[in-house]
Amino acid sequence: MSGLLASLQFSSPYFPVIVLMAVAVGLSAGFVFLSQWVGPKRYDRTKYSEYECGVDPLTTSTVRISVKFFLVAILFLLFDLETTFLYPWAVLYRSLGLFGFVEMGVFVGILLVGLVYAWKKGALEWQ
Amino acid sequence: MTPIAMDTGALVRGLYCILPEMVVIGTAILVLLADLLLPEEGKKRLCHLSVAGVAAAILSALWLGPGKIEGFSGMIVHDGMGLFFTLTILAAALLTLMMATGYSEWEGTQKGEFYALILLSTSGMLFMAEGTDLMTVFLGLETLSIPIYCLVGFHRGRMRSLEGAMKYFLLGAFSSGFFLYGIALMYAAAGTTRIPVIASMMRDARLYGNPVFLAGIGLLLVGFAFKVSLVPFHMWTPDAYEGAPTLVTAFMGAAVKAAAFAALLRVVLLTFPAILPAMSGVLWVLAALTMTVGNFSALLQNNMKRMLAYSSIAHAGYILVGLTAGGVAGGQAVLFYVLVYAFMNLGAFGVIMLVAQREDDGYDIDNFAGIGFRYPVLGGLLSLFLVSLAGIPPTAGFVGKFYLFGAAVRSGYVGLAVLGVLNSAVSVYYYLRPVVSMYMAPAPEGIPVPRPPRSAFSFALCASAAAVLLLGVMPASALEFAERSVLSLLM
Amino acid sequence: MGFIDNHILSLMTFLPVLGAAAILCVPRGKDDVIRWIAAAASFLPLVLSVKLLYAFDRSVAGVNVAGQFQFVEHYSWIPSINVEYFLGADGISMPMLILTALLSFLAVIGSFGIEKKVKGYMALFLLLETGMMGVFASLDFFLFYVFWEVMLLPMYFLIGIWGGPRKEYAAIKFFLYTLAGSVLMLLVLLALYFNTTNPETGGHTFNLLHYMAQSTHNGWLKGFDVRILLFLGLFIGFAIKVPLFPFHTWLPDAHVEAPTAISVILAGVLLKMGTYGLMRISFPIFPDVTRWFAVPMAVIGVINIVYGALCAMAQSDLKKMVAYSSVSHMGFVMLGMAALTPTGMVGGAMQMFSHGLITAMLFFLVGVVYDRAHHRQIDGFGGLGAVVPVYTAFVSFAFFASLGLPGLSGFIAEQMVFLGSFDVFRTIVVIAALGIIFVAAFHLWALQRVFLGPLNPKYAALEEINAREVFCLAPLGIIVMYIGVWPMPVISLMNSSLVHLVDLVKAVI
Repeated sequence: MSGLLASLQFSSPYFPVIVLMAVAVGLSAGFVFLSQWVGPKRYDRTKYSEYECGVDPLTTSTVRISVKFFLVAILFLLFDLETTFLYPWAVLYRSLGLFGFVEMGVFVGILLVGLVYAWKKGALEWQ
Repeated sequence: MTPIAMDTGALVRGLYCILPEMVVIGTAILVLLADLLLPEEGKKRLCHLSVAGVAAAILSALWLGPGKIEGFSGMIVHDGMGLFFTLTILAAALLTLMMATGYSEWEGTQKGEFYALILLSTSGMLFMAEGTDLMTVFLGLETLSIPIYCLVGFHRGRMRSLEGAMKYFLLGAFSSGFFLYGIALMYAAAGTTRIPVIASMMRDARLYGNPVFLAGIGLLLVGFAFKVSLVPFHMWTPDAYEGAPTLVTAFMGAAVKAAAFAALLRVVLLTFPAILPAMSGVLWVLAALTMTVGNFSALLQNNMKRMLAYSSIAHAGYILVGLTAGGVAGGQAVLFYVLVYAFMNLGAFGVIMLVAQREDDGYDIDNFAGIGFRYPVLGGLLSLFLVSLAGIPPTAGFVGKFYLFGAAVRSGYVGLAVLGVLNSAVSVYYYLRPVVSMYMAPAPEGIPVPRPPRSAFSFALCASAAAVLLLGVMPASALEFAERSVLSLLM
Repeated sequence: MGFIDNHILSLMTFLPVLGAAAILCVPRGKDDVIRWIAAAASFLPLVLSVKLLYAFDRSVAGVNVAGQFQFVEHYSWIPSINVEYFLGADGISMPMLILTALLSFLAVIGSFGIEKKVKGYMALFLLLETGMMGVFASLDFFLFYVFWEVMLLPMYFLIGIWGGPRKEYAAIKFFLYTLAGSVLMLLVLLALYFNTTNPETGGHTFNLLHYMAQSTHNGWLKGFDVRILLFLGLFIGFAIKVPLFPFHTWLPDAHVEAPTAISVILAGVLLKMGTYGLMRISFPIFPDVTRWFAVPMAVIGVINIVYGALCAMAQSDLKKMVAYSSVSHMGFVMLGMAALTPTGMVGGAMQMFSHGLITAMLFFLVGVVYDRAHHRQIDGFGGLGAVVPVYTAFVSFAFFASLGLPGLSGFIAEQMVFLGSFDVFRTIVVIAALGIIFVAAFHLWALQRVFLGPLNPKYAALEEINAREVFCLAPLGIIVMYIGVWPMPVISLMNSSLVHLVDLVKAVI
């Protein structure tokens, strides 16, 4: 046993990350199971019906979702990813100097072209 | 915080090294923007713009020359082999875009996206051909694949197009997974993804004997095998080729194959001497299977597009024969054949595009009956390309195959060479079927009237035909270029 | 004139293809212009071949001695694998070059009656001539192979487009058979290439003479067994072309469906390529295997003679009968070559030349009657001798030449074959001599059924042979007769080369 424990390297810089992940997963999973386990369960006909803000359901739940939502979702994803690149860039901005500025300019510029394209093609129009 | 050391000179060199790629990407962006501004009737300007961009990229690649330029601390390299493949891919793209002048009008692909996707895919191919780091190769692979998925499904209204795109996308995503996993395992074993470094480490017996490393190489090979459609990883090919707009099919056969083989060649040629015992058997079997299954399946097809799809599988097998042989001779043969194949494949697709009036049954071989004499130029061109695909002298296809099989014999793979020669004899039968239909079958009442080609389209066809003949009769200089390219890699 | 003298073989080879290019530029509808261009483009090689004949030095051998080849043109073609553009002539190729030039010209004249798509026909025909000339002039194996294949496609189209009712079947059968042969040849080509080095440069080579020079090294090509395999591969490749039993089945179909002039070329020149290939390539490169395989070759030759004659006798179609007679006659060539004696070898080569002339006449003559009667059933005619006496005379002459009547060229060739091989294979030769009876029988029987007996009233008004047809036939007849009486000019043309070839094969290593 001692060998296994000794092999844990608490000094590793990744250790806190692992702890953080373990706590996050444990907590979220724990709450899901806890509410399942502790919560009272009283089933009746109304409860089995589909839930729609207390109103009787009008259609089946498997409706087609307009493609507009997907478009917006994809655009959101794109620009969300852009920000993930922006964060580390911002942190290192000073040491990267002019090079970093130009590089990010090109990157954002290409995305900007994409935005203009999407806009002009009507991807942002809701009607 | 430690400041990152910035070497402006290295950066400039890196950008210089990817000049052709940047030209292509810049053109793609310009095309997208121009698409927004141009009125509907001016959309054909987009095509002209794309052609000009690719031509500029070719000039820039020539300007860089065959000397070795490393960029981005060895992630990418422009060397002789890179130049050879860059020129091959760009030539294929140029011919494709020239044919698009007419094709887009008939088939309704006169859209900015169509050209932009072709250009972006081309840029991915160029990265793949010049990548010396497995990560660069992977990025190139993805950059080339994603636009191609979209292009295959470009005819949104046609079920076949969608089916082909879906199959290609699903299997392509799988193959990317294999590819990436292979890279990960190789990295785990070797501690680097730089191909030349891995190659130099291969002499180390520990790495060679490492099962993790071998598994990594195997998975990498599977990823490549999907992309160049080697049997048994070829299932998507006929459907994707048949479903895709014909122009895209032609482009896929010519350019995607070239790019994938470029990367594969880099990996195999550099690492091969060391892993010979483990891998040559695998490559042997893959090559034999691919040639045989491709050819025999093609025998049964009645649709030209499908037949050429299976024939492209068979040709991947032939090229793999050269790869199996390895060494300078094998590499040279692969380079030359990839170039030749681009021309004959694009040419053949170009002609059938003109003749077939509609997708699907328009490409039935029976639909070509009587074309030969009614339209002698088209008939002659298609015959020339098919004869070259079959590998009959004095066309370039013959010289290419001769080199491939010659390399195999030189390296001692006599059995594989025999199999290849027999296979190309079998292939003659199906390549001649359209010829028989064009010239010898009784012409039906309503021979389809081929579309009148635009001048750029005619030019592309004539250029392909000239290349096929010229490389067949006077192959010396192209072969020397190929040889020097391989030597530059191995040096 | 220096240019012509220095490049005479190249000119003979490529003038036809230049003519083909010119024909492609002629606008639609000018069929007569096309015909005359084709005639000119095939006439010039004939003129050059006469010049060749006069300039040829009959005293030197060639075969495997580089310095003794004449009209040599030697350039590098694809330097990276040492392919050479190497043309030259010796006593083995001379008769074939002349035969090709002559028959090609006559076949073009004979094709003037073609009305369907004249442009394509003539262009393909001239391309075919280039291929044939190239095969007979090449001394580099790669070049030889390229020309060999170049010939294949025009032939395929000429049969497949301008042929008879079952043309597609015949064309594809011809193509696949010949291609199978080419594939074998290609494999041997690769094997020879990688096992031979050019002593001057140290690189691998396709030069046939280098192969011959190294064939005398005992350890070459990993020993005798490998050499046997290579020889057999090459042999089958050539045997398909000859065609030797059992690879002959493409021939009757191809002949029956091909248009007349193409049958003439097919039988007159293409079949000779098989035996020419054996003489030029197989025998001098593999002398030991040749000796080892001599008896089987003789047996195959005799099977060809007897089996071909019996098949010919059973045919009801005149053209098919002539086709099978070719099978029979090529058996004589094989028998003479297999004997490996100077007389036998010269007899075989003589038979190649003589059969080229005679079979060309036969096919022309069959074409003449087919053009008029639109069928070729032997039993469908009868008594034509009374209606078309000139035609009958020509047919009788050709038939007698074909069955080996003394005084005509076929007799000389067959007698030399028998003389040369009798001491070597007695039983076989006796059987072959008996085969001659069948050969005579089917000719005479056909002659009787078509031209003698009561006149078939359907053909009472049959047109007589016309001037153009006589123009094609007369030169052939004159040469056949001339050689039959005085064969020395042809024999002396090839004698020294063939004697040298026999010495080469016989020399024990």
